Amino acid sequence: MKLERITLENFRQYYGRQRLAFSTDSQQNVTVIHGVNGAGKTSLFLAINWCLYSGEGAANVGELISKEAISRVHNGEAARTTVELTFTHDGERYLVARRLEGVKQPDGSISVSGADDFTMMRTRWDGQAERVNNPVGTMNAILPSNVRTYFLFDGEKIDNFAKPEAGDEVRYAIYHVLKLEVLTRGQRHLEEAAAEYRRELKSASSGELRDLLERDEKARDDREQALTRKEELEREVESTRRQIADIDQRLREMQNARALQQQRERLERDIKQRQAEMDRLVGNIRETATSRFVLIGQPAIERALVILDGKRERGEIPSNIRQQFVHDLIDQMRCICGRPFELGSPEHQRLLALMNSSLPGSLEDDVLDTSAALRPFAERARTLRESLNRDMRQRIELLALIQALEEELDDVSRQLKGSPQEEISRLEKQRQEFRADIESYWLEQGNLDTRLDALSKEIAQLEKQIERAKKDKSRQHLLTRRANLAQRAADAIGEMYQVFADDMRQRIEAKTKEIFKSLIWKDSHFQDIYLGPDYKLEVIDRYGLPARPELSAGERQVLSLSFITAMSRISEEEAPLVMDTPFGRLSSHHRNSITEHLPELADQLVLFVTDEELRDQARQNLEPRIGAEYRLEFDRGTSYTEIVEVG
Amino acid sequence: MMAEIAASRDAVAVDEAIHEIYRQLTEGNDPVSVPFRTMKDVFMWAACLGYRHGERRPLTGKRVTIFRWAQFTPQVDVPLLKALAIADSGDVNVLLSEDEILTIAEEYANAGIHELRASVLGEYGQPLWNLVGLLT
Amino acid sequence: MLKDRLMELFKEYDPEVQRVISEVLTLEQEHISLERPRVKNLVRQIIDHIVQDESGDQE
Repeated sequence: MKLERITLENFRQYYGRQRLAFSTDSQQNVTVIHGVNGAGKTSLFLAINWCLYSGEGAANVGELISKEAISRVHNGEAARTTVELTFTHDGERYLVARRLEGVKQPDGSISVSGADDFTMMRTRWDGQAERVNNPVGTMNAILPSNVRTYFLFDGEKIDNFAKPEAGDEVRYAIYHVLKLEVLTRGQRHLEEAAAEYRRELKSASSGELRDLLERDEKARDDREQALTRKEELEREVESTRRQIADIDQRLREMQNARALQQQRERLERDIKQRQAEMDRLVGNIRETATSRFVLIGQPAIERALVILDGKRERGEIPSNIRQQFVHDLIDQMRCICGRPFELGSPEHQRLLALMNSSLPGSLEDDVLDTSAALRPFAERARTLRESLNRDMRQRIELLALIQALEEELDDVSRQLKGSPQEEISRLEKQRQEFRADIESYWLEQGNLDTRLDALSKEIAQLEKQIERAKKDKSRQHLLTRRANLAQRAADAIGEMYQVFADDMRQRIEAKTKEIFKSLIWKDSHFQDIYLGPDYKLEVIDRYGLPARPELSAGERQVLSLSFITAMSRISEEEAPLVMDTPFGRLSSHHRNSITEHLPELADQLVLFVTDEELRDQARQNLEPRIGAEYRLEFDRGTSYTEIVEVG
Repeated sequence: MMAEIAASRDAVAVDEAIHEIYRQLTEGNDPVSVPFRTMKDVFMWAACLGYRHGERRPLTGKRVTIFRWAQFTPQVDVPLLKALAIADSGDVNVLLSEDEILTIAEEYANAGIHELRASVLGEYGQPLWNLVGLLT
Repeated sequence: MLKDRLMELFKEYDPEVQRVISEVLTLEQEHISLERPRVKNLVRQIIDHIVQDESGDQE
């Protein structure tokens, strides 16, 4: 992040609209802002903070709006303050603006309703600005608020990190600036996700699919078996028929059996014929029976006809006059017999009445047509019933006929069986056996057919269930992979966390030492910087002992500053260092050496200083690196501050 | 005839629960055990039986379409449906609404189907002969 | 960038693990200023789409 420009409007003592451009040069990267105490340095520093991060730390939100601005509006009117900041980051230019509005109260104070209004825009390649949808998320990626105190640095807190009890502060700083918190959160959320996936897995059943597949296989096997058996039976029936044919042949050849055998053959042909007749008759009966619902509907038809006829009799349906005809008639003012009639004459009235009492045209047609269609039904009902009865009687006759023929057949068989000729008798007995076999084959075939039907239905249903179970299965598989991946990622972070934390700690330690050495003039006095696992920042003297108790106030402050700048370097955040009166409590010695090296410690440096802080050698040291300079001029008369550019 | 008056639907429906009975009466090849060839035939039978019994039963559950208008023959089916409608309402004006005629038929069928099933499938003997029995 | 150094740490791990970590860390960074970030569904989405991508590759 590199600050470009800040614009304040009615912010605290900055009445009106005032602007300040920061130096963005890489060599002359220092912007100096002078002001005596109370002139507005802290307010300006606050403006930057407030604009980027809102109320945290702002003393009183209600006191942000310029008093002068408030005084110039009437009771009940709104007064507002806005701070705009332009900055670049990662090659993009951003403009953020925060605005606060309040309504002036009778007692002169301001009542702030609601929160402030924060917008962020990003400049496109063509110069147009487009709104950023997730400003907070974007700021978190650029410079999150939880680490801002290490970059927007309040000089009052300069020795915070070097205090003996500062272990927690140091740990917090490292933890947040160096993204350890990000790692911890990442690990935690991945663990939670993995646990959730595992919970979801548990609730899905797994054994179901296997079970269904087994049942499906069994059903298919059964079906195969049944089909095979059917084929077998076919062949059996065939072969048995052939054997019967053989016997028939033999009987035909035998003198004493020939006549009977021939009779049998005749009878069998006859029966076949009759059975074909029967099939046709049954088919016929079915056709007619299903369409005979009309007979059942008789009562409805009769009643409907009564109603329809009633309508007609009451003259509501002129039987030979249609409405259109009447219409035409009236138009032409002619009577049916051809004579014209007068408007209002009795003929005219009667015709009108007739027209009005008739039914609407199409309904009338319908009534007539329906009536016509139904009438025959009533008349034909008797004939319909009779023809069906005739068919049924014929069926009974056929049945009797077939039965008689079959009895004759039995008789032939009995005669043959009772033949004195042994062989004939034997053959006939055998033939009868064969016939009985065929019948049991047929019976078995019939059963198999039923079974095959049921199996087909079962298989179809199982297929559906298997499809469903397979979907579940693949969903489970997916869940397992997800649980797995989430857990591995969480574990990876866990494994590497300490490595990372230690690595960071060591880097900070080394960097702090490097900076501390370059800043402190008494460096020969100190040997080393130590940042232990307990996160205490120690200076080690040449005797190898912690030197902190002997550090002067100034030295402690420099140590703190070294730590902060080390962090900002290590974190590699492209962020500016903005410091509010950082040298106030340092000795001139320290001040001088710090000002020599400070510009190297950040890409962009913004210093709010009093004239006291920055003079003589310190000023001279900084001079070559100053890219922009301003003075905050406070007017006691008006109570507001003006930003004035210097040089 | 019917086409002149606009209808809001063009298919006949039954309650989902009844659909099974219609299937039982029409699925299969053997004319003696499966006397009906089309669901339209079953429907007409059920509607007439329902009227004869004097009971109309509104459809209550989920509706299943079983066949389209076009299946009704203009010579027999349509006049009979109209007759049912006129006999039920006592008024020829019912002919103005095709929807109403259909609804009346559907509701009679919804009542009559149970008698049809019981007579044809629920008795001893083959279904076809049971059906003929209803006519004689 | 610190992020690069972070990802360096994980270079010995499976590519899909690295992808997950990289995306999750970016996600966490975006929400870092929130006390109790609601990122659970977003984390799941990251896992889901990486698993999907990986299975797509295997087909």
